[in-house]
Amino acid sequence: MGNESEILRDPEFQKMLARRSRWRWGLSGSLIGLYLAYCLAGIYFADAFARPVFGSSITWVIALGYLIVALAVFLSILYIRVVGRLLEVPFDDRDASQ
Amino acid sequence: MIGSGPNITAILIFVAFVSASLAITWWAAKRTHSTGEFYTAGSKITGMQNGFALAGDFMSAASFLGVTGLIFIGGSDALLFVVGVVVSWAFILFAFADRMRNLGRYTFADVVSYRLQPERLRVMAAAGTLTVAIPYLIAQMVGAGSLIETLFGLPYFVAVLIVGGLMTIYVAFGGMLATTWVQVIKAVLLLAGATALFLLAMAQFGFNFDALFARAAEVHPRGDLILRPGGLYNDPISVVSIALAFVCGTAGLPHVLMRFFTVPDAAQARRSIGYAVVFIGYFQALIVVVGFAAIALLAGQTEYVDESGRIAGAANMVSVYLARVVGGEIFYGLIAAVAFATILAVVAGILLSASAAVAHDLYAKVIRRGEISDQAEMTVSRIVTVVLGVMTIGLSLWFRNINVGVLATIALAVAASVNFPTIFLALFWKNLTTRGAVAGGVTGLVVVVVLIVLSPTVWVNAFGNQVAIFPYSYPTLFSVSAAFLVTIVVSLADRSDRASTDRAAYGAQVVRCELGPE
Repeated sequence: MGNESEILRDPEFQKMLARRSRWRWGLSGSLIGLYLAYCLAGIYFADAFARPVFGSSITWVIALGYLIVALAVFLSILYIRVVGRLLEVPFDDRDASQ
Repeated sequence: MIGSGPNITAILIFVAFVSASLAITWWAAKRTHSTGEFYTAGSKITGMQNGFALAGDFMSAASFLGVTGLIFIGGSDALLFVVGVVVSWAFILFAFADRMRNLGRYTFADVVSYRLQPERLRVMAAAGTLTVAIPYLIAQMVGAGSLIETLFGLPYFVAVLIVGGLMTIYVAFGGMLATTWVQVIKAVLLLAGATALFLLAMAQFGFNFDALFARAAEVHPRGDLILRPGGLYNDPISVVSIALAFVCGTAGLPHVLMRFFTVPDAAQARRSIGYAVVFIGYFQALIVVVGFAAIALLAGQTEYVDESGRIAGAANMVSVYLARVVGGEIFYGLIAAVAFATILAVVAGILLSASAAVAHDLYAKVIRRGEISDQAEMTVSRIVTVVLGVMTIGLSLWFRNINVGVLATIALAVAASVNFPTIFLALFWKNLTTRGAVAGGVTGLVVVVVLIVLSPTVWVNAFGNQVAIFPYSYPTLFSVSAAFLVTIVVSLADRSDRASTDRAAYGAQVVRCELGPE
């Protein structure tokens, strides 16, 4: 247990923890925020959402829904590719080898 | 009437699926000797396999059949659900994947009881698991029963017996290993089936999306309105409640949480959820087009839609009927069999999480206080699986006429209001104490159940009252907030000795969360 409080005080560990938290809450917050904004905009800007996208029969509510789905997939891949690997390197050799 | 006689293709494909799944169960049973193997397949599942299984857990009949049915009725408002699902999975990846994997062993109760008083937390987590799992199981079984009745011409009770019996066999004998592989096969079948349905439907419109949506708006009784928001929900409270049900609820589903522990480490846990996000995102993207294609091709066809614009037969048959219109009898049978396989795989996963809650959390850890041999716990798990399986079959026969949508709402809302606040605060908030977690969990459970009973879905539709006491169908905005509020206030006010132990252990927990068990 003593070992754990040592790790906790380690500046390298704190730096990693801070970077991880930034990514964790940055990505979660922006995605969920965007989704909530999308949900509410459907009510408060219904007319704008009902407009066709570039003259087609597809409306903005559908196009933007797809855009958020695509963004969620993109951010997930980004998180795994970049964040997961980079941040573990100094502390966990098992993952660094991947 | 459609589907009144048995469809040979459906039966052949389904029999093939069942034979393969039973062979897998037999193979898995020979490899399942310990509780670790039974509950989490010895943590030897790879990220990609687990990604398929996770996606399979969530791509239930509810999304395949339910969302297309919802689009058919409400048009673009169904995107709230579609987008919510994908966002919730990405959120699970960002916030939960590492920490859950590094802290837990078999169930999410292992995670929340890491630094809190284990017995009380396990009892609460088990209660949370069962209140999610039992309604969810019944919802799926009742749905399956009606689906099979329509598609295969089998009587309802035979259908429920088949689904319930197979689910119990998979779990009792094959444990997590069999459940995972059944789920993987089903996920592949479902993704392939949905892709084929999408392509065949698009072919009807020369692969022109514009033409498809234009046609849908032209033939739907509500016309252009299906392409604008507000068709189903037009008040901010309902919309935010739905959003919260997805974002918090998915992260609180016990059978999903249990899958974190089937992979070897945090990196594989992340990877598996990454795969799940990709598969689910792809699937949801297809399903929206399939839903609008169903409007374009089925609306106005009297064989499938009655004069009031409702779909004939069971409410959620839209995708299956569409398969028949675009692909003929053989393809119709194929999609029907895939829908059946989907339900079967999903119920197996839920049953496993329920029996782990009873056998591992309640019996082995609380009643026996961990003083139980691995072999004995295995036997208990198997007995519990059979008991829960038989109980679910009985309840599904009993509640044959219950509204499946209500049960599914309860399950997701309970997961969001009871399990999610506890897990979230246990992982990320230093000041959470045992007393706070229990008080918050109980509050969440009581508020969510009371509000659902008073809501239009139960108070008006089920009890036949004129006006609902609680006006919203989704209670999550209120129940999740209440649970968080009570947990936080009680934790902050908690001056007990246990509270200082709880808080003091947070640092060690963070280290383990980030670096994993040594």
